[in-house]
Amino acid sequence: MRPVSSLSLSPSVKVRLVSAGFRFTSDLRGLKPLQLSKEASLSQPEALEVLQTVRRVVGGDEGGGGASASLTALELLQKEEEELRSIVTFSSQLDAALGGGLPVGKTIEICGAPGVGKTQLCLQLAVDVQVPSCFGGVGGQMVYIDTEGSFLLQRVVDIATAGVRHCSLLAEDDEQRVAMETFTVETILSNMFLVRCHDYVELLAELHLLPGFLSAHPRVRLLVIDSVAFVFRRLFDDLSQRTRLLNDLAQQLIAMATRHKMAVVITNQMTTRLRGGQSQLVPALGESWGHAPAIRLLLHWVGPQRMAAIFKSPAHMDSTIQYQITSEGFRDANQCEQPQSKRPRRHTNQPAASQRVTSC
Amino acid sequence: MVVLRAEMCPGLDEDLVKDLRAADIKTVEDLVSSDTEEVAQRCSVSYKALFAIRRVLLAQHTAFPVSGADLYEELLSSTAILSSGSPSLDKLLDSGFYTGEITELSGGPGSGKSQVCFGVAVHISLHLKQSVIFIDTTGGLTAKRLLQMLQTETSNREEQMEALQRIHVFQLFDVFSLLDCLYSLRAGRLQQASVGGGGGSVKAVIVDSVSAVISPLLGAKHNEGMSLMIQVAGVLKTMAKDFNVAAVVTNHVTRGDGGEVQPGLGASWSHIPRTRVLMEKLDRTSVVSHSSLRSATLIKSSRQVTHSPARHGAQSGSCQRSEHKARLQTSVGSERPAECRLQHKHLDSAEPKRFRQVSLLCSTCGER
Repeated sequence: MRPVSSLSLSPSVKVRLVSAGFRFTSDLRGLKPLQLSKEASLSQPEALEVLQTVRRVVGGDEGGGGASASLTALELLQKEEEELRSIVTFSSQLDAALGGGLPVGKTIEICGAPGVGKTQLCLQLAVDVQVPSCFGGVGGQMVYIDTEGSFLLQRVVDIATAGVRHCSLLAEDDEQRVAMETFTVETILSNMFLVRCHDYVELLAELHLLPGFLSAHPRVRLLVIDSVAFVFRRLFDDLSQRTRLLNDLAQQLIAMATRHKMAVVITNQMTTRLRGGQSQLVPALGESWGHAPAIRLLLHWVGPQRMAAIFKSPAHMDSTIQYQITSEGFRDANQCEQPQSKRPRRHTNQPAASQRVTSC
Repeated sequence: MVVLRAEMCPGLDEDLVKDLRAADIKTVEDLVSSDTEEVAQRCSVSYKALFAIRRVLLAQHTAFPVSGADLYEELLSSTAILSSGSPSLDKLLDSGFYTGEITELSGGPGSGKSQVCFGVAVHISLHLKQSVIFIDTTGGLTAKRLLQMLQTETSNREEQMEALQRIHVFQLFDVFSLLDCLYSLRAGRLQQASVGGGGGSVKAVIVDSVSAVISPLLGAKHNEGMSLMIQVAGVLKTMAKDFNVAAVVTNHVTRGDGGEVQPGLGASWSHIPRTRVLMEKLDRTSVVSHSSLRSATLIKSSRQVTHSPARHGAQSGSCQRSEHKARLQTSVGSERPAECRLQHKHLDSAEPKRFRQVSLLCSTCGER
């Protein structure tokens, strides 16, 4: 006994169905479209849609196929190992902390203060996602949605050049040499699709159209939105509407990441929160947005050193690593400049963390 | 209520249904609530026949009283209490998650809700050898993490794989697919899942998170979101009762007027779960905390003494934290595998007994 009101139909159609006495899907069984349109005063196309929806739902109940197929966790594990390979970054510490790189099929938020390297990491990832699979990459394309106007092509060329040089030094066997012929700065640039969105309406519209684009470009493995905060933090008088739009956007992104097997990277700004007379720097867009990304990465400064911390992830340990931004892009901090005593607060966790790094 | 149809009961034929429709009586509800004598006159049928039809229809649609003794017998034979895999959380929940009920875990981002869900799923599939349905609406589930948890429990590869096979995952990202899935589970796929999953019946349905699909709908001008939320609640409740499964849902948190943390989805949702647990990070001083410790507080329960989340203020914090730290150090010292910290994220997620003691302390020494 499934109520008609739980069906995916327009509210006005549901109201008319219920007022005509059709409360459950079983009431609609065996009806002809013409009959239904007369009894519930619906137009014929509407009546047809109602009956098709009911047939799909009821068929799912009995047939076992249904709209949503389930996987066992074992099948999911096999899928993760075969299809959802991680995007290797050029920072071995970040790779280790994330268990082999940026996981494909998840949403990842990068937040941090201005100038700490959010956009640099995004640009680096835009190149990283294209590393050919024989070098351990995923060899995919990517879509870059730029809302801040911070996409610098010159910088991408720098990072791509460094990436190509790095891989050409690594190339050993024939397969890798063949792959290097197509892994050039030109192909890297041609596999990036840049979308410039000026306000949140443009961003929402773009995300509604994106699934079609992704079906036409099945090799896309990364979507970057830099940044989601910029368009949503201004021009909003109605905060509850903002929260609702953001929640909706989050579900869209998660669905896209899962269905199209791509990583979704979102950048976010920081804001100040006052609590009990103390101010604290926290990610913007409110607390409920914090649930949206599966993994949250915080880039911050500790003295002169840049640090990246995973502070929310259902599959990784909370951990902090050091990195630097060089002319070649996002890299590990120089090991010699990294004395152990720099992390005094974490001495209790150190054994666990270092063991993890070696095991990867 | 149900639309009147000719084949519903003897005496109710095609012509009578047509006549009733002409008198604006379309559903069983309309027929029962209208005056039988008047209807008999208007539709020119005998009062006796209409009265008989009315009685049959009422009998078909009524609920029957059950004696308390029978109910208790049934309760003893059918209710199971599923351990969460964490002794302290079990203690908080009066020995675990009860089948036939909805239990809610709420908390902010990174408070360990999903980890508890994973822990429950792993515990049920590995130790109890029963099936679990895991509905993931936030894309947070990774099978690797489940495997990691299993590896700390057993080193037998075959057992791990069998346990993974007993966890059925649905990845759904909007409320209509969630409803489709829940209704089809209730309509019989729940048993199918048990048969297909290599033995063991489904004992738990986990929805992580229920707020992710519902909150985009709430607060809009029309109240369809509210109606859909109640639909989700209704189907979860009846499924939990009819199939004797434990329903575990997760929820986000919002801040009340005074800045205190409370579970999301508003007042109408708060009546839905039988048991509510609020989870928090202990170290709230910075975004990046280096403590893996979480606390769990019981805020609604029909069995245990609860305590309002507002009461455990800053003053109770210090003594808890030192105790927690003690726990952590012993765990690191005992050389667990590398993932012991995350493991302890869920093991440590609850220290209920102590919490309740603390709350008692608070009430005796007066709230500050």
